[in-house]
Amino acid sequence: MRPTLLIVDDHPGFRSLARKLLEAGGFRVVGEATDGLGAVAIARELRPDVVLLDIQLPDIDGFEVTARLADGGTGPVVVLTSTRDRADYGERVERCGARGFIPKAELSGAALRAFLGSDRMG
Amino acid sequence: MSPRLRLAIALAALVAGLVNFVLLVRGGDGRPRPLAYLLITVVGVSWSFVAAGLVAWTRRPVNRTGALMVAVGLSYALLGLFFNAMVLAATPASFALWYLANSLPSGVIAHLLAVFPDGRATTRLQRVFVVANYVATVPLAVAQLLLVPLDRLGCAGCPDDLLVLGDGRPAGDAVLTVSNLSYVALGGLLLWIMLVRWRQASGPRQRSMAPVAVVAIVLVVAYVIREALETLVTSPSLLGALNLAVIVILMLWPLAFLAGLARMRLDRSAVGDLAVQLGEPLPPGRLEQVLARALHDPTLQLAYWLPDRDGFVDAAGRPVELPAEGGDRAVTILRHDGDPIAAMLHDAALDDDPELVRAVAATARMTIENERLQAEVRAQLEEVRASRARIVEFGDAERRRVERNLHDGAQQRLVNISLALGIARSQVGVASDREMAVALEEAAAELRLAVAELRELARGIHPVILSEAGLGPALAALADRSPVPVTVTAVPPGRLPSRVEETAYYVASEALANAAKHAKATAVSISARRLDGDLLVEVGDDGVGGADPDGSGLRGLADRVAALDGRLRVHSPTGKGTCITVELPCGS
Repeated sequence: MRPTLLIVDDHPGFRSLARKLLEAGGFRVVGEATDGLGAVAIARELRPDVVLLDIQLPDIDGFEVTARLADGGTGPVVVLTSTRDRADYGERVERCGARGFIPKAELSGAALRAFLGSDRMG
Repeated sequence: MSPRLRLAIALAALVAGLVNFVLLVRGGDGRPRPLAYLLITVVGVSWSFVAAGLVAWTRRPVNRTGALMVAVGLSYALLGLFFNAMVLAATPASFALWYLANSLPSGVIAHLLAVFPDGRATTRLQRVFVVANYVATVPLAVAQLLLVPLDRLGCAGCPDDLLVLGDGRPAGDAVLTVSNLSYVALGGLLLWIMLVRWRQASGPRQRSMAPVAVVAIVLVVAYVIREALETLVTSPSLLGALNLAVIVILMLWPLAFLAGLARMRLDRSAVGDLAVQLGEPLPPGRLEQVLARALHDPTLQLAYWLPDRDGFVDAAGRPVELPAEGGDRAVTILRHDGDPIAAMLHDAALDDDPELVRAVAATARMTIENERLQAEVRAQLEEVRASRARIVEFGDAERRRVERNLHDGAQQRLVNISLALGIARSQVGVASDREMAVALEEAAAELRLAVAELRELARGIHPVILSEAGLGPALAALADRSPVPVTVTAVPPGRLPSRVEETAYYVASEALANAAKHAKATAVSISARRLDGDLLVEVGDDGVGGADPDGSGLRGLADRVAALDGRLRVHSPTGKGTCITVELPCGS
């Protein structure tokens, strides 16, 4: 069974490319969101296995969305992404409760799958 | 007041006093009051009020206190003439005339005390009191004349009555009691008004008012006691003594007033002390305290004129607003050749002695001028500090903007290219050549957009055409790219110093951005030309106007222009478009 995925990013070009790439890479994309509040609402409704979450969003940022999605451990696996480097965000990536971080340029099905099935950050 | 009027009043009071004096001394035994009492009243009180009133009137013509004092003095002289006429004629009619005239001076005195020292009623209570006091005393006197046997009112040789109803006693007693109680009430009200005024008076005013206020309060208290006792006690000697006490205190009041004026005069010695203190160098900001002490006004504030700012600042360079006219605060402006150099903000009471304020200001002029220059330098320093901080802040904000543009624009596109190429690679050998071509073309299109965005961003940081070809071509290129139609009406020939060209370009590009973004303009015109060694740049649009010169955008422009010693003016009436004019010295 392919893991279900929600893509959250405000750039339509990135969303459509990421959808193609990750569907080819073994995921089933069940939804897309363009901002943080929309992401929280859609994630609660669709209950995807994984959320690919851009940090820079027009309303609340990706860290805040991650915290809201945690839901006491029953929430989806959250993987953050950004055009910036992980080092630009320091410890916030680890502290917010996300499973991991993938720079946008290095996004692939394999990179995302690497975070599944492990509880700790890869 | 004119000298002629002053002389006429003085002569009238003098002559009336002398006439009254002669008539009283030569008069028979028909007098209802002791001679000493009468002489003090119609000669002593009259002369002292007229004399002190004329001094006050001359010194401070706007303040009605002097005129009211003169009125008190003249009304007593007039009362004396009525009295002597009554004694000579010895008829009930002349007695009635004198009796009615009695209420005039007390009305004016109560008026004077209620509005002292401003000379005008400042509250509703004061106005009501003044009017009520004039109005109430007349009907009371009329009722007394009609209902009380005249001999009880003091007309020894008079027939029994004018119009005494019935046997006269109960009605007469009632009228006298009501009258006395009314006088007690009015006196008490006056006392209250005076105490409130005293408590509200400022330091300098309390200082000059102190002797006057003390005597006035004693006077009113004595008057109230006399009226109260009149209803209770019938001992003629006690009442006579109280009457004498009241009238002597009344005569002293103008002297107390003159003492208050003299006290201000004595302050002239403070000017000498001030001159000595100013002989030593003062630490900055100290001058204010020294002047405050010389004028006995701890609230005194000094403000220095800054021609650059077209306004006043304090010793630390902070802007100072002058108080509106007619309030508790007054302003004395010090000028040099007609131009303001400084302003003293002080208690309005000091306006009572403008010469003293002027003398103090003149003595401190050199020091004030010196402090003004220091304040000017400090104000400029503060402005430079603020603009330096703004320039640094602006630089930071600009770098943040470039970083954000790179991430959201070109870098996002490059990421997309990387993803698209990743997808294409995964399709090698799987997809058809045609599908591969489509995927690669997508990546190529994204790459072209990324290149265009990077070029735009680089031009935003520094337009190459400006350094390569100069201001004219750069403005033309700016106009070509603008979303709002732009007409460039004039450009300077040849090249200018690069700092000038860059600032002029920056002004035009910011003004253009504002016109498109905030002003909703449909047409913009730009002109840049040489004018007497300056570069004059004007950018006008037909937008909504109402631009805020202190908003961050225009503030940033002003700072950049100020860094080149240039001047920026913004004319932006609401609904009438915006015109930004900049003059930049070319330093050639």
